[in-house]
Order: sequence, then C-alpha cells, then structure tokens
Amino acid sequence: MKPLESLRLSWRSIRGHKLRSALTTLGIVIGIAAVIAFVTLGASLQAGIVGDISPDDQRNVYGWAADPDTEGGPLAGAQPVVSGDDLETIEDFEAVDAAYGYAPIQSQAISNGDERVAQGDGVIATGPSYVREDSLREGRQFEQGEREAVLNPAAAGRFEDNVSVGDEIAITTLGGQSTTAEVVGITDSNEGLSPFEGFESSPRLYVPTDPYYLEQADAAGLDGGEGPIGPSEGADGVAANGSEETNEAAGSERTGETNAGTDGSDVRFLAVVVEAPSADSTDVDAAREAAVDYLESDDSDASEFLGDELAMTFQTSAELLQQLEDVLELLQSFIVGIAAISLLVGSIGIANIMLVSVTERTREIGIMKAVGAQNRDVLGLFLAEAVILGMVGAILGTALGLVAGYLGAWYVDLPLVYPYEYVALAVAVGLLVGILSGLYPAWRAARTDPIDALRYE
Amino acid sequence: MTGSGAGTEADEATAVSLEDVRKTYQLGEPVHALDGVDLSIPRGSYTAIMGPSGSGKSTLMNLVGCLDTPTEGTVVVDGADVAALTDRERTALRGTTVGFVFQTFNLMPRLTALENVALPQLFQGVDRGERRERARDLLERVGLGDRTDHLPKELSGGQRQRVALARALVNDPAIVLADEPSGNLDTETEAEVLDLFGEFHDAGTTLVVVTHERHVAERAERIVHLLDGRIERIEELGSAGDPGEPAEPADGGREREDR
Repeated sequence: MKPLESLRLSWRSIRGHKLRSALTTLGIVIGIAAVIAFVTLGASLQAGIVGDISPDDQRNVYGWAADPDTEGGPLAGAQPVVSGDDLETIEDFEAVDAAYGYAPIQSQAISNGDERVAQGDGVIATGPSYVREDSLREGRQFEQGEREAVLNPAAAGRFEDNVSVGDEIAITTLGGQSTTAEVVGITDSNEGLSPFEGFESSPRLYVPTDPYYLEQADAAGLDGGEGPIGPSEGADGVAANGSEETNEAAGSERTGETNAGTDGSDVRFLAVVVEAPSADSTDVDAAREAAVDYLESDDSDASEFLGDELAMTFQTSAELLQQLEDVLELLQSFIVGIAAISLLVGSIGIANIMLVSVTERTREIGIMKAVGAQNRDVLGLFLAEAVILGMVGAILGTALGLVAGYLGAWYVDLPLVYPYEYVALAVAVGLLVGILSGLYPAWRAARTDPIDALRYE
Repeated sequence: MTGSGAGTEADEATAVSLEDVRKTYQLGEPVHALDGVDLSIPRGSYTAIMGPSGSGKSTLMNLVGCLDTPTEGTVVVDGADVAALTDRERTALRGTTVGFVFQTFNLMPRLTALENVALPQLFQGVDRGERRERARDLLERVGLGDRTDHLPKELSGGQRQRVALARALVNDPAIVLADEPSGNLDTETEAEVLDLFGEFHDAGTTLVVVTHERHVAERAERIVHLLDGRIERIEELGSAGDPGEPAEPADGGREREDR
C-alpha cells in the first residue's frame, strides 16, 4: 500500500472523530505552543539586552566589593570600599585610561526655571567619560569638579520647554537641599549606559561625582552609607575640597551624632568603573588586573576592608550580561521543562486514544485483513493516524506559540527574534511524539487476528 | 472432481482442494473442528455448504479463505499450498484470489460504496484512477451505479450486500466465499441478492456459499453437508441458481456418501 493512500485513509478516520481528534491534539498544541512562546520570548529578551551593548562600553570594567559567595548581578551585596584616592591612583596606571566612581544621587525633583518635575532616581554621579563621546547627541561631556550635567532625551523632554544645552537646572536632593547644574550635553538614547543602571529606558541625569556625590555623602554625615565601618574619622574636610563652591549640606546637619562632613578623597564608592585603552581583551584584562592588584595591596584605602569576607569583583558588560543570560537560560530551561511535561501528557493522550481507536475498529481491521491488507499496511494506517495527530498538533502549536511570543515581545517592547531552529525542532517533536505514541497501538492493530476481528462485536 | 487425489494436472480446473484436512483447537481439551475433510471445488462451480452449528462450517470457510491454516492435511487454493506459505504470502493470496461476502456485510463504515469496493485493490497497490474505474464498473453490474458515493449507513441491507459482493469480485478472485449472505435480509431482498449470485456464477465466478437455509443452498449445483467436522454427504443438484426447479429431496438418488 502506498504511503499517500495510508495518509488519505488515516485522515479519513481522524475526520470521522472530529471532536475526539481535536481534543487529543490539544495536548500537543498546548505543549508545543508553550515551548515556542517561551523560547521566542527568551530569544527576544536576550536580543533586547545584548543588542544594547555599544562597542565602546566593551572597554569598561565594572567593579564593586562584595562577599565572594554572593550570587547575583551587578552590585549584588556591594559595600563601599574604594576611596577617591584609590581611583586617582588607579587612573595613573599605564594600563588604565580612566577610573572613576559610580553612585546614584538620592534626588527628589529637578527644576528648570519655575517648572519642577519629580525625579526619584536616575540621577547618577560618575566620571566624565562614563557618558561616551559617541553617545552624545549634542553638547559635550561634563567635567569633574564642575556643576554640570548631561541629560538623556527622556529627562530633557520632561519639561514643557525641552531642556537644552546651556540651560541651568536645579536638583533637589532627598534631604530637600537644592543644588544647581548647567546642562552641557544631551545623550542620544534613553537606555542605560552601563549594567549598573540597567538597560531599560528611563529619564536619567549624569553628573560628576565631585561635587554632587561628595555633597550627598557629606549631607548624610557618613563617608560610606551602610559601610562596614561606623562614622568615619574624617570630618570638617569638605570645604578643603577646592572645587566646591557651596556646601549647603554643611549647614544643614540634622542629627547630633553627625557632626561632620567628609574629606572628598576619603569618600568611599559603592561602585567603580575602570576604562581600558581599548576593547581588546588583553587590554581589558590588563586594566582589570592593575586595578585589582592595587586595591588588594596594602597601599590602597580599600584594602582596609578587603579580605575573606569582602573581595573586589571587576567584570565587563559582556561578562555581566553572560550572568544574566545564564539566569535567563536557566529560567527558560525550567519553563521548557514544564512544557515538555505537557508534551508527554499529550503523547500519552494520543497513545490512549489510539488504543481506544484500535479496539473500537477491531472489526474494520478484520475486514481490511480479510481483503488482503498486510500487517504493515494496518501498522502504517494507525501509525499515520498518530503521526498526523502529532504533526497537526505541532504545527498548530508552533503557530500559536509564535503568535503568543510575538504578542509578548510586543507588549514588553522587545525586538522580535523568531527561534527558527525551534520551529523545526517542534515539528520534529510532533513527528516523534506521533510515532512513539502510535507505535504500540499500531502494533496491536497489526497483529490482530482477522478471524477474531471479524467475529468481534 | 472428487475430494481426493487432486493432482497437479487437475489444478487448472480446480479452484480449491482440501486433502484430509484436520483442524484442532486447544480449548482446555482438544476440539476437532475439522476431522479429515476431502473436498475439491472446481472452477466455475457453485457449492453450498450446510451443517448445524459446530459442524465446522466456519472453520472450513476460514481455511478455504486463507484466513487460517490446517493442523493437518493440505489446502490448495488456486494452486498454492496454504500451509506452506508465510503469513505475508497467505495474506497476499487471500487478497488476490479470494473474495468474501459476510452475513453482516462488513463494509468499512466511513468509506463510500465506491471506496469499499475499491478497498482490496488499495492493498494491491493499484492506481487510484484504475481502482475507481473498476469499482464503478462493478457497482453498475450489481445495480448500484447511482449509489457510488453513499456511505454504508445510507444504503439498505440488500444494497450493502450488493456492495459487499462487488468488493468480493473486484480482484477477479478464483473463488468467492459467502458466509450466510442472506442471513440478515428479508425474503424479497434475499431473492434479489441470490439472483445476483446466480448471475455472477453464470458469468463464470466460482462460488461457495455457507448457509443453514435449505432454500439458499438449493440455488447451488451441489450441497456439501457437514456434521461434527466431517463431510456427511455431498448432494448434487440440477441446474444451479434456479429456484423454480426444486432439486431432488435431500435423501434423493443423487446424494452420495463421502467416506
């Protein structure tokens, strides 16, 4: 019997039991759709994240101090240990192009003239080259020690009259103090510039650590927030920092125990960025090594805290992303595993229905054998039926999964990536599920004795 | 022509021959369904097999129809020794040389009349177009040219049995086996279907009808009476398929003891 004829005849039997066949197929549809949807979403998510690393970012190493056993992404378990002096020393190394701290400023609002908008986070104090030249749409990088800021378009666009280069804005800190900044540049993207920020789009302001972070540290009266040390010995040194014109925080001490500001050089940074001269991996590794070696040596301020409990971690964006991708992949495997269980249940459903079908059609099998059907013809018929059920399930499931993945990616606003190899895989799985679940029932059908089958009521 | 001694030279003229055939089933204790049967069915003949339940009619059917193999003895169908064939060869032989007509019609419920008739050729690998043409021809011959696309459930009992007859004939078999072909039909339809059998016999088809109805058996050329797995006697009748000329009574002169 020709394969095409088997398919034709099997398709007949399937259409003879529309509801039953549809329900049987549904198990496979759901399983395959779940796998495809999650894989599509995962691939889109990865593309969304990885696609955001600009080549220039690749010469940066991001560092923080944390318990070596801490698991997690950037800044997980970070403690402020690296001082301003440390950064200056590191920057002087040959292998290092630039080294600067990174710290979010706890702000409350931004004002441009009379207009005031709330801005709870997204004010980032860091070094000038953190905002790369090539990511500036207009203006220039801010300079260390100046009251200058670079905004991203989302932040600039929050005011009725768009803020532009040259405008003077005011930043209101969490403590309520106001400090001014001149806008010197606008970036070209609303996405984060480094893994520290995250890569999602949001309004952001970039300002120099000096004076803004130093002021904040001073206002809090601490030199390192929740650092492992108590109140620092440093005091009254803020004014000594030459670039500071005003120190409003100095006049607004609120707690009795906080009786001092901090020396700028003694402020500790939670996170640091070290730039290598190029994105070449040997250069990046050299810069990383220089920074780590210095920080772990006794010469550095940071070494005071570093030890078994606390170690410096320096990673590139790509490495940090790799961790994220690993987590994503783990999550995806987990979900695909659950979906695979659904596939297993689906194939048991097909096997079950095929067994019922074989019993129900015992007489038909007898007739076919009486008129000359060989065992393999009968086997082929029932196998074809199971394979059709599996394949139809796989194709419908793939279509449904792609649509669901597309809607998901569109809803989360990710670039859509179709995992074509998984589509091929899904169809193969459908075929396999059909064959595996149909094999035993078809074999039972094939070895039915025609004499018994013809007598079967 | 007689049961014993069907030699090779007789093969041309013999559709089926059985020699000392025994069939034993092991159902707790051995049951001898057939206990030494010799029978020869010439080509173009019309044979009826009669006997009470348990006399071995069905077993004989299954053996002649290549559905089963004998425990002892030889069954030669269209020149082939059934017991010597593999399962696959036996199935192939069955498909091409035997046509079945059943009491309960046994049509495929989801296939149309035409497809049912064409089914045996499907398993022989005949082309679809050729199959359909042949099936249409046969349906016209059994008077169902206008019912080709009907499903069995849309046909009357008589029509179904005619479809079954057409199906049995589709491969031009050496022998057509009919098991109580009119058992599920009313008297009038029965006559129609049996008339059709007569017509095909006249056209050269070899027919074997198993029945326990005397008037059905009387349409044949001869009646083989089975009892307890043995041939009790073979009753030769006059011209076949003509109910208008009743044969001699069962105990009449032309009957002959077989062993």
